[in-house]
Amino acid sequence: MQIAIASGKGGVGKSTITASLLYLLKDRYSFVAVDADAEAPNLGLLLGVTEWEEEREHIGAKVARINTESCVRCGICYERCPYGCIYIDDDGNYVVNELTCEGCNVCGLVCPVAGTINLEEVRSGIIRKTTTKYGFPLISAQLDVGKPESGKLVTEEKEWASKLMKELNLEHMIVDSAAGIGCQVIASLGGADVAILIAEPTPASLSDVQRAYKVVQHFREPAYLIINKADINPGFRGLHEWAEREGIPILGEIPYDRTIPESMVMLRPVVEAFPNSRASEAIRKIAERIAEEILG
Amino acid sequence: MQIAVSGGKGGTGKSTVAVNLAVALKKLGTELTFADLDVEAPNDHLLLGVELANEEPVMQFMPRFDYSKCIKCRKCAEVCEEHAIITMRDGTPFLMPNLCSGCRACEIVCPVSGAILEGQRLIGHTYVTKTPYGFTLVTGKLMEGEERSMPLVVAAKKKAQAIREGLLFIDTAAGTGNTVSKAIEFSDLLIAVTEPTPLGIHDTELILELGKLMGIPTWVVINRADLGEKEKVHGLARKYGADVVAEIPYSENIVRSYVEGKPIVLTGYPEAEIFTGLAKKVLESLGGGE
Repeated sequence: MQIAIASGKGGVGKSTITASLLYLLKDRYSFVAVDADAEAPNLGLLLGVTEWEEEREHIGAKVARINTESCVRCGICYERCPYGCIYIDDDGNYVVNELTCEGCNVCGLVCPVAGTINLEEVRSGIIRKTTTKYGFPLISAQLDVGKPESGKLVTEEKEWASKLMKELNLEHMIVDSAAGIGCQVIASLGGADVAILIAEPTPASLSDVQRAYKVVQHFREPAYLIINKADINPGFRGLHEWAEREGIPILGEIPYDRTIPESMVMLRPVVEAFPNSRASEAIRKIAERIAEEILG
Repeated sequence: MQIAVSGGKGGTGKSTVAVNLAVALKKLGTELTFADLDVEAPNDHLLLGVELANEEPVMQFMPRFDYSKCIKCRKCAEVCEEHAIITMRDGTPFLMPNLCSGCRACEIVCPVSGAILEGQRLIGHTYVTKTPYGFTLVTGKLMEGEERSMPLVVAAKKKAQAIREGLLFIDTAAGTGNTVSKAIEFSDLLIAVTEPTPLGIHDTELILELGKLMGIPTWVVINRADLGEKEKVHGLARKYGADVVAEIPYSENIVRSYVEGKPIVLTGYPEAEIFTGLAKKVLESLGGGE
């Protein structure tokens, strides 16, 4: 089974909760974990990963490059780039800003001088694998800053994870997605059997998780909700009302607890570092429900 | 003048810092326009306590084929970097709209005038909202199910540039990909908001790297400064020559102001001073902000 964890909003505790759930479920189930936030990968840190067994460069991003020797400075590429990624440098040369280029090749197509603008394949980042000290494998990725196509990195990560599942005969894939609802999140949710949404009781988190849920609905996946930092905004009923309206089961609520940032600093899941904290108790209950209702 | 607030990791307090800094700048007499370029998860209107207004659709080009003119040469499919155009065995092209990025490469290579017609697809909206704080908020919002945030970032930023008064003040999405670089492009100052955990530090290094590559002077603000190891953030900032300009403690008052949509900088709480101080620093460094 493939479970994707999403939230829309960043910083509500996806990776924190994922790391703890993996720790709690590792002895009962076999799985591979995927850190599907290629622009800000953190799951490995929370699982105490210091070394990677295998790294693969991902060559696949394309960026346009202008040959200043043959460029006639007509400016057509500058006018036609849909994303405004071409600028004129101090010497009057037309240059592609590779940190914003989407690799669509329009500039190359409109350039009147053959061979002046070429689309070149560049490294967009790395994908890497390790076996965590807890025994299960982790696939992670790191987009090179300013590169396009973080979604494609996530797709590759999941392909690698699927291969591992077959090779090692693993039961489940747990995917920790990025913030937002764009390509990385769509790649994370696409193909999942179940989505677990994480939110905190704030208007911002409610607004973002509703958007993430619409993407989940696109894929017609069953969704569950975990409420994190449940006590930071007493009186806010928005999450409960929304979940009830949509028929989304709430797996549990985790109170705000300073042992969570403390466990982050220790690079350990909170349920391992502070097993008796209020947050850990709540996460353990949630893990039980996931075992019963989802993993079976 | 343009200032961007970013940070790499999600949830470090980018929007809290951006909103309070903007309100403080305006209070000190700086004209500004605020652009929320976190198009996948825009929240600044919620923190400012305003309802989004003046919705405008953001349409994207999409090819429509006139099959009576199409000569089935397959050039459009071959040139499409997104593989959004598939061809039947006889060369008849079909579009998969969700993959189309609207770049017009197909239209450019089509050898037959009129075989590819102008189609349009809705990919999101921009909003222009007057706030009670004396500045206008421009928001980009990507439609759910759309993969590409770049066209929305570009559209919302253009909108903000078109109506801007004074300083352009930008809040970005989490992450360090090319949509974040698009949002912070042409900034005179980048403010990276981080938290002093290993995760925050890891992601901040990426945004500092991006700032360096783009040649933008960068400052660091440490949020929840008492929850972690802030010395490590200071060390990282030194490595990149970025000044740590503010440290914000974890504060119930800030959380409350955040959920109530009332910027803390306008209250009598001691935390308000942090943002006012930061705004003064910004004005000093930008020479009055004009």
